[in-house]
Amino acid sequence: MNRTPDPIITIESVSKSYGGVEALSEICVDILPGEVHGLCGENGAGKSTLIKCLTGVIPPETGKITVDGTPLRHGDIHAAELAGIAVIYQESTAFLDLDLVDNLFVGREIKKFGWLDRRAMEKRALAVMQRLDFTLDLHTPLREFSIAQRQMVEMARACLRDCRLLIMDEPTASLSSRETKTLLGLVTQLRAAGVSVLYVSHRLEEIFQLCDRVTVFRDGKLVATTPIEQLNRDQLIGQMVGREVDVLTRHKEHTERTDKIRAKITGLCSRGRFSKISFEVRSGEILGIGGLVGAGRSELARAIFGVDRYDDGEIQIDGITLKKGSIQSAIEAGIAMVPEDRQHQGLILPMSVSENLSLTILAELTKYRLLHHDREAERVQSLMQHLAVKAANAKMEAASLSGGNQQKVVLGKWLATKPKLLILDEPTRGVDVAAKAEIHRLIRDLTEAGMATLIMTSDLPELITLSDRIEVMCEGEIAGQLEGGTATEEQVMRLAFPRGEAQRT
Amino acid sequence: MKKFAYELFLLGLIGVVFAIAAILDPRFLSKNVQLELSSEIWELGLLTLGMTLVIITAGIDLSVGSAMGLCSVSLGLCMHANLPTWLCALACLVTGLTAGALNGSLVAFMKVHPLLVTLATYGMYRGFAEGLQSATTNAPVDASEGIKSLAAGTFPLVPLLFAALTVWTAILLGRTAAGRGLYAIGHNEEAARFSGIPIAKLKFWIYTYTGLLAGLAAISYSARRSATAEAGMVIELDVISAVVIGGTSIEGGRGRIAGTLLGVLLIHETRQFVDWYWQRSELTLIVIGTLLILAVLGHRFLFAQNPKTR
Repeated sequence: MNRTPDPIITIESVSKSYGGVEALSEICVDILPGEVHGLCGENGAGKSTLIKCLTGVIPPETGKITVDGTPLRHGDIHAAELAGIAVIYQESTAFLDLDLVDNLFVGREIKKFGWLDRRAMEKRALAVMQRLDFTLDLHTPLREFSIAQRQMVEMARACLRDCRLLIMDEPTASLSSRETKTLLGLVTQLRAAGVSVLYVSHRLEEIFQLCDRVTVFRDGKLVATTPIEQLNRDQLIGQMVGREVDVLTRHKEHTERTDKIRAKITGLCSRGRFSKISFEVRSGEILGIGGLVGAGRSELARAIFGVDRYDDGEIQIDGITLKKGSIQSAIEAGIAMVPEDRQHQGLILPMSVSENLSLTILAELTKYRLLHHDREAERVQSLMQHLAVKAANAKMEAASLSGGNQQKVVLGKWLATKPKLLILDEPTRGVDVAAKAEIHRLIRDLTEAGMATLIMTSDLPELITLSDRIEVMCEGEIAGQLEGGTATEEQVMRLAFPRGEAQRT
Repeated sequence: MKKFAYELFLLGLIGVVFAIAAILDPRFLSKNVQLELSSEIWELGLLTLGMTLVIITAGIDLSVGSAMGLCSVSLGLCMHANLPTWLCALACLVTGLTAGALNGSLVAFMKVHPLLVTLATYGMYRGFAEGLQSATTNAPVDASEGIKSLAAGTFPLVPLLFAALTVWTAILLGRTAAGRGLYAIGHNEEAARFSGIPIAKLKFWIYTYTGLLAGLAAISYSARRSATAEAGMVIELDVISAVVIGGTSIEGGRGRIAGTLLGVLLIHETRQFVDWYWQRSELTLIVIGTLLILAVLGHRFLFAQNPKTR
């Protein structure tokens, strides 16, 4: 690029604070036409706040945002939409009982004489799905889609509208690697069509693969906007955290395996979900379960924790057989689970951090049938310190924490029960690098102290470096075993793909 | 103080009602009139205690008034048969307990939506009450001396029992694991389940408790007037209004007994004053409806700036 074209969006000294805490201070960024602009920073750095300012969800306190030289009305969602700013959120905002077509056209239905023109909508929907190379049934209610598939619908919806700037907030957080590849292809395609993309992601590989320039925030302040050629991975991380972080390196001598079998799963079957699952997890061992989205990993986790019933098989903890489909008996036996969906299953968002942390240990905090508030405060304090939860105080609403800190609270509420078996389902999805490293450190420390850990993750580097052993699942069955640390991503993927499909990708 | 902002707002509203009464007819505030009009507050108060718990879990119980009618009839039957007072009272309470347990089982174990369950039992319990009455005594039964003395003797058992249950319910909500569980269920049942909260058990017990309170309310009502299938007619609307006016969120997860008490007081005083001064029941309906909307808007206004309570 010889001369710099005029930016389509200019953000000039935008600031915003919440209750005295500056979420954004004096931010200046410009976005060029047809560029993929990366936005990085730890959770709580101000990325989400900037997105909300751009989309008109909240008005900035100072500064101005201009689109093609015209100032954008602050805090006006419709103005932002008209200006061509579209966004795909981290969490899907779909209507679960409507089908794909309805979801694509919600709020902007095609009408004919005042009636919905279903046929025209279906035609356009089909065209978009084909253009994006998504194979999803048009008439299936979204409830029956996986989270990844719902995200694809969101993308298609944004593409239906003529947008100038597409903001993607962690779009690949819940996608399998094949779906991620499709998505990355789509982003490149959008760029070719002259659409600018503001791409927020914690996955640095994607940033390097996709982006033209990358802007880094730290604590609400702009660190730098740099062309991607001038950065390497370590420098980028350095910009984000302000120090060098040792991410995803394997502790050499951490595998001090004992022979004590903590959890034993024998021939577990659940029709339509998984079948013939058998494995053992020893005390002090991290067993990773890999596989594609939809391979049955979450379903397996749910069955072990007693959320769902299963048809056949047996689960034993320290030699004692568990009752089927009872969360309470699973917890009593010493199982803990950090579920896949942090916001709906892991936490009670409107309750305080303290109430969330103590929810699993209420019986322990009860004396003469009454809750012991001082003891609760003590336990909560020590948990928050141990996990380094960043919150002004324990009375804060869990919803106000950043993703990484929320996940630490979920982890904390289960560590409080001193579990024998900890099940983690996608424990670091949507979590920033620093928090991710901390969560990994915690998992390792606790496992070394004698816990058995079962981790289900789509994040291949995480799976490989964290696990001592890996079981890879494919279409509900165990496709093979690998050694942690030495396995390669290719080996995992080869087992994860159903036979015959590996060649296609 | 911020924590109790809404309770202060309710106190303000009650003050306004008293002020209006003082201007229009100060006799309303005299001790005698207040005492004379106070008798009905106990039934309303008792029922709101259970209803607060139920609504905090995002549930509802429409059948409380009908259950009260059924309890009153069973009390009447026992009195008619000249059974000892304690046995009459026990029969009445057991009837309430059973009615509540049926609601509770359907909601908690069969997982039917509480609105559907209690809409069905709302009709059923009243139907049983009327059928039972017409098949036996075919008329209201006057309260026996024993039952009368239970509710309005020299030793005011009903008010004292209400006070004790209020304290007990407030402690249950604010200071026990069960109470914490109820809030958790109301906010996010899925996450509560994943946290190992015994959801079915808790739900079963709060509906059963509400049934038991309907039994107590029936004793209070029958002692004042007579044991009849008419007991508790449309009281469920006042009960729900009082709880919601008291700041309990109909969506669940939020509410306190202190607020409920103020809600009861506000509804009670307003109703009594309007009834007593203008003597027009249709006006009462309009005034109570207005209060309900005012309270909800007041709540939103008070907490609009505060993202803590969306």
